[in-house]
Amino acid sequence: MSEPLLRIANLKTHFQTKGVGLFGKKKVIKAVDGVSFHIAPREVLSLVGESGCGKSTVGRTLTHLEKATSGEARFEGRNFLSMTPAEFRPLRREIQMIFQDPFASLNPRLKIEQTLGEPLFIHGLCKTWDEARTKIAAMLETVGMDPKVMARHPHEFSGGQRQRIGIARVMILKPKLVIADEAVSALDVSIQAQVLNLIKKLQRDSGVSMLFISHDLGVVRHISDRVAVMFEGKIVEIGEKRQIFEAPEHDYTRKLLGSIPRVKIGKEVT
Amino acid sequence: MNAVNFLRATFKGRKLATVGFIWLCLIALAAIAAPLIAPFDPLEIDPVGRLAKPGWPNLFGTDHFGRDTFSRAIYGARMTVIIGMGSVIVALVAGGAVGMLSAYFTRLGHFLMRGVDVLMAFPALLMALVLITLLERSVYNTILVIGIVYATTTARILYGMTLKLKGEVFVDAAICSGAGHNSILFRHILPNLVSPLLVQASFIFAFAQLQAAALDFLGLGLPPEVPSWGNMLSEERIYITRAPWLLIYPGMLIVLSVFSMNLVGDALRDSIDPRFKDDIAGV
Amino acid sequence: MALLEVENLEIAVSSKGKLLPIVQGVSFDVDDNETLGIVGESGCGKSLTSLAIMGLLGGTTVRITNGNIRFEGVDLLTLPEKDRRTIMGNRMAMIFQEPMTSLNPVYRIGDQIIENLRQHENLSYAKARDRAVELLTLVRIPNPGERVDSFPHQLSGGQRQRVMIAMALSCDPKLLIADEPTTALDVTVQKEVLDLMADLQKRMGTAIVLISHDLGVIAETCDKIAVMYRGRVAEAASTADLFTELAHPYTRGLLNSIPFVDRDIEWLEAIPGRVPTLEEELTGCAFHPRCALATDLCSLIVPDTSQFKPGHAVQCHFPGKVTS
Repeated sequence: MSEPLLRIANLKTHFQTKGVGLFGKKKVIKAVDGVSFHIAPREVLSLVGESGCGKSTVGRTLTHLEKATSGEARFEGRNFLSMTPAEFRPLRREIQMIFQDPFASLNPRLKIEQTLGEPLFIHGLCKTWDEARTKIAAMLETVGMDPKVMARHPHEFSGGQRQRIGIARVMILKPKLVIADEAVSALDVSIQAQVLNLIKKLQRDSGVSMLFISHDLGVVRHISDRVAVMFEGKIVEIGEKRQIFEAPEHDYTRKLLGSIPRVKIGKEVT
Repeated sequence: MNAVNFLRATFKGRKLATVGFIWLCLIALAAIAAPLIAPFDPLEIDPVGRLAKPGWPNLFGTDHFGRDTFSRAIYGARMTVIIGMGSVIVALVAGGAVGMLSAYFTRLGHFLMRGVDVLMAFPALLMALVLITLLERSVYNTILVIGIVYATTTARILYGMTLKLKGEVFVDAAICSGAGHNSILFRHILPNLVSPLLVQASFIFAFAQLQAAALDFLGLGLPPEVPSWGNMLSEERIYITRAPWLLIYPGMLIVLSVFSMNLVGDALRDSIDPRFKDDIAGV
Repeated sequence: MALLEVENLEIAVSSKGKLLPIVQGVSFDVDDNETLGIVGESGCGKSLTSLAIMGLLGGTTVRITNGNIRFEGVDLLTLPEKDRRTIMGNRMAMIFQEPMTSLNPVYRIGDQIIENLRQHENLSYAKARDRAVELLTLVRIPNPGERVDSFPHQLSGGQRQRVMIAMALSCDPKLLIADEPTTALDVTVQKEVLDLMADLQKRMGTAIVLISHDLGVIAETCDKIAVMYRGRVAEAASTADLFTELAHPYTRGLLNSIPFVDRDIEWLEAIPGRVPTLEEELTGCAFHPRCALATDLCSLIVPDTSQFKPGHAVQCHFPGKVTS
């Protein structure tokens, strides 16, 4: 088997809380407590679980937004958890993140073209603004938006549109791994469907690998190749999508699947 | 948003604040056009016409040196504007830098903000007095001193705001894009601080006048040759019974200007980003 | 006579001197012991409708401009404030989405339940406290005798929501309005809370109006459903009837947009476009810009509410049509 794109081994991210009062005992919150998985090129692995299970923290640790306590994370063979910010910067082009809140993830003061252009200039993909604008226009069209919107500000757009812009910001760098942190959870159902289709199409067309973090099992089923179920900082079950959904082995996975309300159409249960 | 729209949005429905704004514009006009408007030379002494009552040709009367109070008041507007703007610049640059950098670089911040805390323990006037006695009396030093006094509250306010902004998702997104410290500070954080900084500026402008007037009154602010409203109060105070107009006019000008600035500051504060409204309590 | 009758409700917001309608022509009723689900996405007006029923709209910027709301035959809109307060919390109660902000963080949960009890019933503090513990037991809070003295932040999200339910049910209301009660909860906790509500309904005979954007939740818990879009009821029917044949293109589109847990689909049939904002004025059917079946008629005339089948109301010019 060829080397996977991403290999995580025994990842731990612990947080220290300040003790209560002057001499209070400090508590350790083990947000991620020994997580291991790998993602192959062109593959979508979902990390699913309820609130507090640590799935978002895994994503944030991999993008250096949180500091890992121990463990290894290898991207194309190189361990990147202990890299300095300077060493990690070139890797940031390859590992990108889509955020959950479309209303908070775009700087309200910047025009769309500035937000989308920033990563291009940082990574040396463009030298002039003309070059940048060409790339930005193409990317906006790819995500289903009129290139003319690049001159406007975020507040002029709806949640679904802003999320498309967020996706454009990520894909414009042509990354190899995209971490989607609850990327569709804040969207209305009908918009969610549009954006999910978009993400699926982009992933298929570009061959990018994805770590898709979500609490919504329906969404996870739709988008993933493999699924990892997390509970209290650990992965309790990981496997091919079919297996997880149709023949779950762990009790918690079964409990999760059993809790989802179903819609009965006509006589069949969906 | 361009300037005209901004002004309209800020002052809509606020008659008092609009009046205040107009008053401030008049002050600014007087400051710029002083040599053209003032009927007399503010420094010209006329021992014969001392302590003349307000009338013609001395609209505000004359002081104990026979100098025309009206002209001195107009030239005094210059000092009002210069001290005000100067203090604002010093306070915003020094305080803003300290506050912003302390919040962004947390370990440096712990150290710097403790220093700011210590300085804030001193009442503003006391601190001004201590600093000014170490330096000679001059316009620059007065600006410097008052600026430092208000740099502390500015630092505290910007510290809080930068902490809030640092945690915003779009800053995380910029970090993930590969943006370095410079980019994040100057492209993402600073532009979002402009509105609160503007509000802070208006309050500092107002309070700087009071501080300057207090310093002048105590004989520690501007040098006596420079006409300023505070100096006028200070020099003429022994004549309060004989020529009360010499105190009433400069006093009223100070009150009106400070009041106007406060009204404008309130209007600005109400029209800015709702996220930060509660952080700004004025100075 | 139904327990709750809403007839032609119209709610408008005054913005920049104009009155913009947000909710128009909304009618439904709820009978004793029945659960009505109101489902729709953001901007459809479902929350405003529930606030209007409870009289929580405020009245200055947002207000009811037309229609009738009758509870137990009494017109709520013309009721004097004093009389309204005897109904609120007593015969009609409401629970909200965010239990942390609906519970006062500085008071113990027991005290908050007791406050509601003593507001409507003449009970001594001791008796009210006993009743509070009873209620906490009813909503399956473990250790109710101790927990009655806890503060909201000491409880989990699911537990807080149960406390809200306990408070709402404390005076044995005939009608409970639940506005997105489980949206902020994890799916396993959601199941527990929904099961609890169903159980309590069986025991106490309360009618429930359940508002949600989650079609699955609504389908599993409600007897009848009203689907709202941009301030109007697009379709309303019993749950069984609705899912036997979906009459309104929006409802169908909504169902096709949901990725289901038990099925593998390649591409979701998403509804194109987005919900128009309040300021955008529309002629004709509110859904027509996004509807695959839309004709010129749809863009000009607002459709009447018709009976697609008995008991199955739709607001569409071509109800039941699947392809154009």
